[in-house]
Amino acid sequence: MKSTKFTNYTAKEADAKWWEIGNYFRRNSIWMLMYCTGCGAIELPPAMTSAYDMERLGMGPMATPRQADVLLVTGYLSVKTLRRIIYTYEQMSEPKYVVGFGSCTINGGVYFDSYAVINRLDYYIPVDVYVAGCMPNTESILNGFVDLMGMMKNKTANGWIKYHENYEWYKANQIQAVGEVHVHDEFHE
Amino acid sequence: MLNILAGIGIAFFGFVLQTSVAGFNRKVTGRIQKRYGPVWYQEFRDIFKLFTKRSVTHGWIFDFGIIMALGGTIGTAMFIPLTTHTLAFAGYDNFFIYVYLIAVGMLGMAMSASGSGNPLASIGVMRALTTMLAYEVPFMIVALTIINLTGTSSLTEIALMQQGQFNWFAIALPLGGIVGFISLMGMLGKKPFETYVAPAEIASGPMVEYGGKQLGMLLVMHELSVFIEVSLFMYLFLGGAESIIMFLIKYVLIYTFANMISSVNGRMKIDQVVLFFYKWPLIMAVTQAVIAIYLGWVI
Amino acid sequence: MMNSMNNVKEIISTVEKNFDLLNHEIIDKYQVSLIVNKKEVHHLLVFLKTNGWIQLSYLTAVDWIEENEFELVYIVFNWDKPVHIQVRTRIERDVENASMDTILPIYPGCKYYEREVHEFFGIKFPGNPDYHKQLILEQFDDLPPLRKDFDPLAYAERKFPKRDYPEKFVNLEGKESEQAKRDITHERVEKLRTGGTKK
Repeated sequence: MKSTKFTNYTAKEADAKWWEIGNYFRRNSIWMLMYCTGCGAIELPPAMTSAYDMERLGMGPMATPRQADVLLVTGYLSVKTLRRIIYTYEQMSEPKYVVGFGSCTINGGVYFDSYAVINRLDYYIPVDVYVAGCMPNTESILNGFVDLMGMMKNKTANGWIKYHENYEWYKANQIQAVGEVHVHDEFHE
Repeated sequence: MLNILAGIGIAFFGFVLQTSVAGFNRKVTGRIQKRYGPVWYQEFRDIFKLFTKRSVTHGWIFDFGIIMALGGTIGTAMFIPLTTHTLAFAGYDNFFIYVYLIAVGMLGMAMSASGSGNPLASIGVMRALTTMLAYEVPFMIVALTIINLTGTSSLTEIALMQQGQFNWFAIALPLGGIVGFISLMGMLGKKPFETYVAPAEIASGPMVEYGGKQLGMLLVMHELSVFIEVSLFMYLFLGGAESIIMFLIKYVLIYTFANMISSVNGRMKIDQVVLFFYKWPLIMAVTQAVIAIYLGWVI
Repeated sequence: MMNSMNNVKEIISTVEKNFDLLNHEIIDKYQVSLIVNKKEVHHLLVFLKTNGWIQLSYLTAVDWIEENEFELVYIVFNWDKPVHIQVRTRIERDVENASMDTILPIYPGCKYYEREVHEFFGIKFPGNPDYHKQLILEQFDDLPPLRKDFDPLAYAERKFPKRDYPEKFVNLEGKESEQAKRDITHERVEKLRTGGTKK
């Protein structure tokens, strides 16, 4: 699956003036991928439904990574899940953003000494906004999304450009933790 | 030449109208669910956001199918009469032109969804075509009844024959009106007939591998096809429109009513959809045809 | 209630007659635990299966590191007389020799349980064709993790890099510390409660 005319954007190009029109449309209609990894996913349904309505900000849930803008990493990530998250992140179409929920993505949380859970999400995929808490309150989640929209307005949400520029560093970290990023499924091979 | 420009103008007007009405209906759905919805121009923002993303392609069939579907739908929308006197191509508003050209849109989408190589897309396309098979039969029976009663198959003539003191076909042929409305909901892909999209079940069906610009074109095609279908229903059953104001009022009312019904229903499975359409709507359509043509009981 | 107590006692007496029962323990009216030798486990499980205990609920191991032994626990369940029976044996804790013949012919559902026990404890199950395949842990290169001499903190620090905070705290906006104010209040409350002296 190749992308059409895949040239890398540099940080300077993304700073251009006409990019601001695109930013207006992108920040007012964010589509999130409902990939809820850990126990932090319990805070998403109140944000999506009538209690703290997310749709008035323009956000909506979408089913597949190719259609989504934002990947929500909610909670802890074991090595198995990390491989699938990287696989999913590389399928999304650009520009794309990552929001890390909960303390487990920041520094390991309550599972900092576990043999199966990674400690810091920043080493493997670039993260734009962290929402701290265990779990964060639903208002904090909405605050995090509004912060992401503000970052898009100021042109500082450049995680995907950093991924292109520092691809070797990210790849080395991924291989050290996960091996190859290819999903081997015992039942289909 | 002027006709083509007028046609493109009508298609553009239909796109703007439907996108605004769809955004307004998201607010209506939100209010039904006791929350605020988005702003009324939210769908515009969605579509333009999709056009600014970079997309991934899977080969030329994938791209070409989308362009064919979009072109077919724009071509169909150019023939829609806005009022009974405002047409792009006078004399070319036959009912069967729309039935024929809508198939081009579906075919294009099916082609590009199969070209993406994802098995979920094939499942979604199969479900979409099965749903089409289900709702077309009662709808065609009622439409053919109307054509037989009026003796002509031109939309504007059918609309003109319904003028008078509430002489609409939705009231003159009551069973036919109900069947037409249920088939309209099947055509629009609203719940309970939403099996071909099914967001959480088959990961949005045919749209599973689209991202960025192709999804934007697909949404534009969807909006235009909704415009075509609602206008078709309006001309067949509700007497068309004499002026633009009546057109807008009737359009908004039909779509909002369909949306309100769909927001309180769940989603049926595909075999339930086919069984449903082949039971009561088919019986009502055939009864209506028999009453209207052979017995002549028209209100 | 009397019925199940009778059930449990009846089970214990039957097993005692036919097998060499080292110990038994009645946990409550629905659970009983029987401790046997390693050689008798297969006979006991066949006997239980032919008498109605057809479901293998769980298979796991306990690490008794002071006594240098593993203890395998098989939990079987009966749907007609609802009693959980735990069959426990002790096997030796040597890294190369810890093994137990598989019970795959008796309960076919033990295939994945034995894989899990091998992955987490290192016990081998000869007779099970794929007990050594990796089930849950990926990229794992240390001792089997549920043993008590495995250090999870050292493994996590080696494999998953942490975030380092160069300062212990950051005082934004130059406010005074709320925690310091709370500490003063707590100390005053303690003094008042204990009559002027702090216990």
